[in-house]
Amino acid sequence: MEIILNTQFEQLQKAIEGIMEAKSKGQSSDEARTAATLMFVALKHANREVKHKIKAGRDKLHLEKCKVDLSRLQLQNLLYEVSHLKKEIVRCQKFKSRDTNLELLSEAEYAGKLPSIPNEKEDLSSHKQHLHRLDCELRLRKDLDKQYSALLTSKQELLQDNLSHAQRYISFAPALRTLLGATKPLHDALQLSLDVEWKLSAVVKYLPKPLYILFINLQSLQRACDDLSFTAEVVGYESEAQMQELLKEKQYTTLHPKQNEKETAPREKPLENSLEDALAPHPLHIRMTIGAVGSNQLILQIRYFELIKCATVWGQLIPSSNANSLGDTHFLHYLLRHLYTNDLGNEIPIPGIEYELRNSDLTADECIRYLKAKDFGKPFCWLQSMCSIPTVNSSLLYNHELNLNKNTREIIVRIARRWNSWLRLSQQIRGLTYKDIDLYTLKENIYPAGLSCSLVQWTAITHEEFHSQFSDVLNVSSEDKGITYNSYRAVIVRGSAKMECFIRIPSNYPLEMPLWILNVHWNGCHTSQNNSAIKMMEFWTNSLQPKQLEAGERLLYAQLFRTIYSFDIFLETEGSIQSTVEYNKEKPYISAFAKRSRSRPYKYIKKGSVYAFKQ
Amino acid sequence: MKEKDLKRAYNNVLAQAISTSKQYLFAGNLFGDIFVLRINELEKGSEEPPGKLKIFPQGSGVDINYLAFHRDFLIVGAVGLIYGLAWNEEEESLATKRSWEVKIPMQVDAVEVPDVNSMWLNKVDNTLFAGCGDGVIYQVSLEDGRIQREYRGHTDYVHSVVGNANGQIFSGAEDGTVRVWSTKQQEQTALLEPHKNPNLLRPDWGKWIGAVAVNDDWLLCGGGPKASIYHLRSLECTRVFDFPGRVHLCDFVDDCVLIGGEHNHVQSYTLNGVLQANIPVEHTACYSAVWQTSPIKLMSIAGFSNKLHILKDFRFLDSKIDLYGNVQGEDENQDDDDELIEEPLIVEAA
Repeated sequence: MEIILNTQFEQLQKAIEGIMEAKSKGQSSDEARTAATLMFVALKHANREVKHKIKAGRDKLHLEKCKVDLSRLQLQNLLYEVSHLKKEIVRCQKFKSRDTNLELLSEAEYAGKLPSIPNEKEDLSSHKQHLHRLDCELRLRKDLDKQYSALLTSKQELLQDNLSHAQRYISFAPALRTLLGATKPLHDALQLSLDVEWKLSAVVKYLPKPLYILFINLQSLQRACDDLSFTAEVVGYESEAQMQELLKEKQYTTLHPKQNEKETAPREKPLENSLEDALAPHPLHIRMTIGAVGSNQLILQIRYFELIKCATVWGQLIPSSNANSLGDTHFLHYLLRHLYTNDLGNEIPIPGIEYELRNSDLTADECIRYLKAKDFGKPFCWLQSMCSIPTVNSSLLYNHELNLNKNTREIIVRIARRWNSWLRLSQQIRGLTYKDIDLYTLKENIYPAGLSCSLVQWTAITHEEFHSQFSDVLNVSSEDKGITYNSYRAVIVRGSAKMECFIRIPSNYPLEMPLWILNVHWNGCHTSQNNSAIKMMEFWTNSLQPKQLEAGERLLYAQLFRTIYSFDIFLETEGSIQSTVEYNKEKPYISAFAKRSRSRPYKYIKKGSVYAFKQ
Repeated sequence: MKEKDLKRAYNNVLAQAISTSKQYLFAGNLFGDIFVLRINELEKGSEEPPGKLKIFPQGSGVDINYLAFHRDFLIVGAVGLIYGLAWNEEEESLATKRSWEVKIPMQVDAVEVPDVNSMWLNKVDNTLFAGCGDGVIYQVSLEDGRIQREYRGHTDYVHSVVGNANGQIFSGAEDGTVRVWSTKQQEQTALLEPHKNPNLLRPDWGKWIGAVAVNDDWLLCGGGPKASIYHLRSLECTRVFDFPGRVHLCDFVDDCVLIGGEHNHVQSYTLNGVLQANIPVEHTACYSAVWQTSPIKLMSIAGFSNKLHILKDFRFLDSKIDLYGNVQGEDENQDDDDELIEEPLIVEAA
């Protein structure tokens, strides 16, 4: 445009100059003037065009300006939004939810407590999990609230009940008082003292029924029999018992409406927990102490389990202060296990209990194992009979003891007797092991004048070592009654001869006697397998029965002396006819051999002042 | 240990006898029990187990040292007496009441009641020869129970008595002698002392003679000394047997010699001393072997264990029969709680 204008101007200028030249020259300029005027038209046209263009340019500029304004506005908006979001973020960061103060349980626990809530654990964010937990918590709280209100109403009802009962009892009082007054002469006549109060501490009434029966019986026995030395007490806190009773009631009221729904929903409880919960003993238990204060005391802890409907007993030993190391305390468990034959406590003796346990997904074995692991002891039949719980033993015999007084008394007497036997046995073993006995002066020493052997060793050995001995005795297999054994090895020496004795003490002692196996080492090894004299000796030792003992004699010592003197007799009667005899006859016996079996005079007979060893 | 188990572990069977009908075997032990085994139970074949035994207790104070069977009587040699029990074959029962009793007279200087250790029955004239714990052999008439004669000479108790049809009686005793007697002569007719023969003597085991046996020509004896054969007329020792234990049992079986005793085998030799059969036994010591050849051929060896060892061809062990634990009606008796009752323990003040 500019170029066009410029050329036009130049043309115009040229035209003007032409005109001027013509003028100056005095030539006619009209022609030139017309041409020049025509040029103005072109100029005007160009001018118009320029103007047009300017307008178009302005319009365009305006349009662009509008665009710029719009984007600017957008930018502003965005900036504002950014700042707003930033503010929001800060606010979010500063936000504090009230749920942080809540103590939430783990997912699994909720699942356990609210089985109805669906459990979808797959890839939930932690927040959602948290929300889920909160949701659970809410439900739980609602449930608890419901229970709370139910408890409140039941409490009200109980209070009401209490009140009405109390009123009824109070109404009895005058009648009772008159009765008491009326029977006073009778009491006097029968010499019954009314003053003895049956004081039972408050806690007793919270005992579960079987233990209550047992406790009352024990109390009455304690009063009635002076010869039984035992005490019984209730251990545990009243409040706990109350608590459990309430809990049980609560469970009853809350669980029962939902029973149907529960049955349809499969129950998946973790085993450990359920066992622990289900097999919790009653918070109160009875502690029985047998034995006088100051001597060795036997403590029996009797617990009751609601789930398996039976009581268990756990024994404990309290050694008296001056007889400290009692050595083997296993015997206590042996004692309880073998108190009655075939009553080892390895099953729950309650009829039909397996089916009931099946409802709560348990087995009887599991329960027994659990009881054992927790040191709650075993559910013996005899214990149930003391608590008047009907039992079915391993051979499917039903028994429901009704004569509790007699039965309980018998059982206690039996425990005390067995316990005494074991104490004496362990004292004997201790005496032998530590050699703090004087063989010569022991009263079981039948023939003190002739004691020429010495006991040089008495040690405990393993069951395997014992069984490495060969003897017919071990092949005589009595039916297995769950008996276990403690084994010992004793060595008796006289001169160059040595006798090894292997002694096996059964866990049902004193029902069964300790068993001796003898090996004599002298001119070769003589055992009951290759020498009938040794076999007879073994028989003589093992045949010692409790009823043959005289008062105050101890069985193991008596067996030991039988063995020692048999060994003496064996040595004194054995021997070559040519070479010099190592052992001379010292014992009074009439003949060294008798019968075709050439049996030797192992038996010591004493009649008045006449005594001798005889066949 | 319970009494039942004790008896099983220490059952010592000293005596056996077979009934006249050859259908029943009797075994008596030192616990005073007589077991009766029906012999044809053993013939039933191996499929079904043999039936149980019957037991007839004689009381715990009665040691059954020797058994013999005559007509329908079981003759029991116990301590200080010999008695007869009637055996009822139909009912298979032994009378509980003794049909007769012969008391062994106590010697003036005796302090102990003598055992009846061995008996020999002369079925021809119904006399019984009993070798006893006082070293005397008593000749008892089974017609009237009278003691007809006493054979004195042994200085210790008699282990074994046998006789033969010629009226000769042979006895072995703890004093180490074998004496030969005649029913027609007052004094012993011969005396053997095997321990004086260095070939026979085993010094560690003593001189006693535990068992004696005879047949028409030979006398077999052994005990502490080795088992050996003597010729009856010359009384010369002609053969020694190498049985490695003490001898409590020896006999002529067919034309062999059976020797047993305190050893885990019973051995059978030919008369020439060749070992023919070596039969393992569970007895700590064997004390008795009885056998018959018809109607059922069998031998039963008993001793210090709860088992009878049955041999059908006299050379190999066929079966072992438990005594205690294999008796009719044994399981019925209950456990009696026989318990040790002791005085309370008094803890001495430290």
